[in-house]
Amino acid sequence: MSAAQTGRDRYRRSRELFARAVEVIPCGIYGHASPAAALPGALPYYAERAAGSRYWDVDGNEFIDYLCGYGPVVLGHQEPRVEAAALEQQRAALCVNHPARVMVELAERLVSLVKFSSWAVFGKNGSDMTTWALQVAREHTRRRKILKVAGAYHGIDPWCTPGHAGLLAEDRAHIHDFTWNDPESFDRLLARYPGDVAGVIMTPFHHPSFKPSEMPARGFWAHIESACRRDGIVLILDDIRAGFRLDLRGSHACFGFEPDLICLCKALANGHALSAALGRKELHVAASRVFLTGSYWNSPPAMAAALACLEILEQENVPATLRRLGEMLTSGLIEAGARHGYAMLASGPPAVPFVSFVEDPSWRRQQRFCAEVARGGAFLHPHHNWFLCAAHTPDDIAATLRMADQAFALMRSEGL
Amino acid sequence: MLSRLYLGAVLPCLADLTEQDGAAREILGHLHASIVFLVLKGPSCTLRLQDGRIAWQPGCGRAPAVILAILGARHLNAFFSGRRWAVPLPIWGGWRVGLLSRFSQLAQRLEEVLDGTPSVLASAEGRRLHARLSLILAVLALRALAQGDAPSREILAALPPGLASFTIRGELSATMWFEHGSNRAGRGEPPRCPEVRIVFDDVATAYGAMREEIDTMAALGSGKIQVDGLVPLADGLNAVMERLRVYLKP
Repeated sequence: MSAAQTGRDRYRRSRELFARAVEVIPCGIYGHASPAAALPGALPYYAERAAGSRYWDVDGNEFIDYLCGYGPVVLGHQEPRVEAAALEQQRAALCVNHPARVMVELAERLVSLVKFSSWAVFGKNGSDMTTWALQVAREHTRRRKILKVAGAYHGIDPWCTPGHAGLLAEDRAHIHDFTWNDPESFDRLLARYPGDVAGVIMTPFHHPSFKPSEMPARGFWAHIESACRRDGIVLILDDIRAGFRLDLRGSHACFGFEPDLICLCKALANGHALSAALGRKELHVAASRVFLTGSYWNSPPAMAAALACLEILEQENVPATLRRLGEMLTSGLIEAGARHGYAMLASGPPAVPFVSFVEDPSWRRQQRFCAEVARGGAFLHPHHNWFLCAAHTPDDIAATLRMADQAFALMRSEGL
Repeated sequence: MLSRLYLGAVLPCLADLTEQDGAAREILGHLHASIVFLVLKGPSCTLRLQDGRIAWQPGCGRAPAVILAILGARHLNAFFSGRRWAVPLPIWGGWRVGLLSRFSQLAQRLEEVLDGTPSVLASAEGRRLHARLSLILAVLALRALAQGDAPSREILAALPPGLASFTIRGELSATMWFEHGSNRAGRGEPPRCPEVRIVFDDVATAYGAMREEIDTMAALGSGKIQVDGLVPLADGLNAVMERLRVYLKP
């Protein structure tokens, strides 16, 4: 691709900042936001500001945002009611010696929303909660083994990080993978470790990077749930990514099962740093025994933001809005692709969708498509599922579909 | 495992070494012969020395001038580590002292370049050779690691199948490829369009990456390393390549 095609001219300031960054920050940008994880040179590296369904990069390029900060923005960037609640709380207390009243109020609110739960704890990131949940499962059962789905993302701690460096074989000595939608592979692990499985941790649907998302097959969740009940295994739902986007009762309500623990994060506080774990009454004592803390974990403003966010999510039935918008986007992309001879696959729930090319083993079509749409002014990640937010409008979707149509046409003209 | 690595990945590097390195070509001279390496109860390979070049092929070639037998992995490792007691046993052609002597010098030169001894790395040309051969070794080693190294097999099992090519821009004949699925690897242009291409922008970047002396994530963001296509395959193969250091320690 030429410099113009890759967008290098559009992202001059991003590149300049990155050149400074690599001198003082390992990777320049590390983790999931690393350019290496997306399309180096063809997407912006640094953002300047954001509002509603849009964000602007440091070069002044405007994007309709379908990544929403990798999920936390569920109502739209800078939602005024959420920001007002957070600011008011911040003026009262930002970081103090004790938790604030709002922590109790938020726990009560969450427990009232998620029916099986009777208690809640808080952290800042998803990994804080998933790793702690494993410890609670082990403490409760006094067993060692944790079962998880191969390829599932649960955070950055050694037991689950997708990275390879700095790990010991011992880190995962008691972590065992089975295959999504394959009850037999799950059963084989149960048979191999009888009486030693403490917990099973799973996302409500499978959303690996570089693959279409997979919904649970009929009976899959029921099989997992009944096996856990039968064998006294703690069933942990990692609802970090989808939680409160699909259903305000937790994503399990969409799929007809009940976990014992649920980990929430992204849609909780509309971008303010907050995660939570909620659990059954039977796990209360184990939860009380597993140490949990962090420098900023009791900080009240994010909790105030969460209370405001939850109120809006419920009052405005945001999950239904996200579903409707997601259906518009995914069906529109499939139709646009078909007009140009491309078979597209929409996977995952419409509120957390991913659309990819059916025939694209190298992912180069997907990468080119997302690069072209970004040039048009919408941010679709080529390898990671997308997110709708309540600030997206039908006009945003229509504009995105026009960009997609142009991208498909260009690709077809180039024989891609 | 060591036998497979040495016979299937280290010895093939002699082909590139003699193409690229004047010192190696001088040692090789105009030798015209073939040498079979035979690991007892293990793999074998043949090196054909002709017209100042070396060609590698798997298995026992016909009518070799010399057959060198190695008793096992420990023996082979000791030989390549320069232990005097660990010379391969010439079960045929032991009287060809001149050929064996020159091959021993070539093997020593290869070790110096691959290990990156101070004398090699002191010059830009030495660093170029080291980068090229390290890349060739790492890609060819993927075959052996995929077959015999349990952690590598675990990593590979989670990867999508596909063909990966590795290129140092500006270096002739420095493209390598590996096909995950068929476990084939080779030097030169890949047999079909690869699912993922990894391109090092120059020798210095390749040198730094192969020696783990640069921030490769930063290099990716800066465009000094380009990866296009099936990125998880490149990422996984890189993790497998890193297993090499468990077996081959300078």
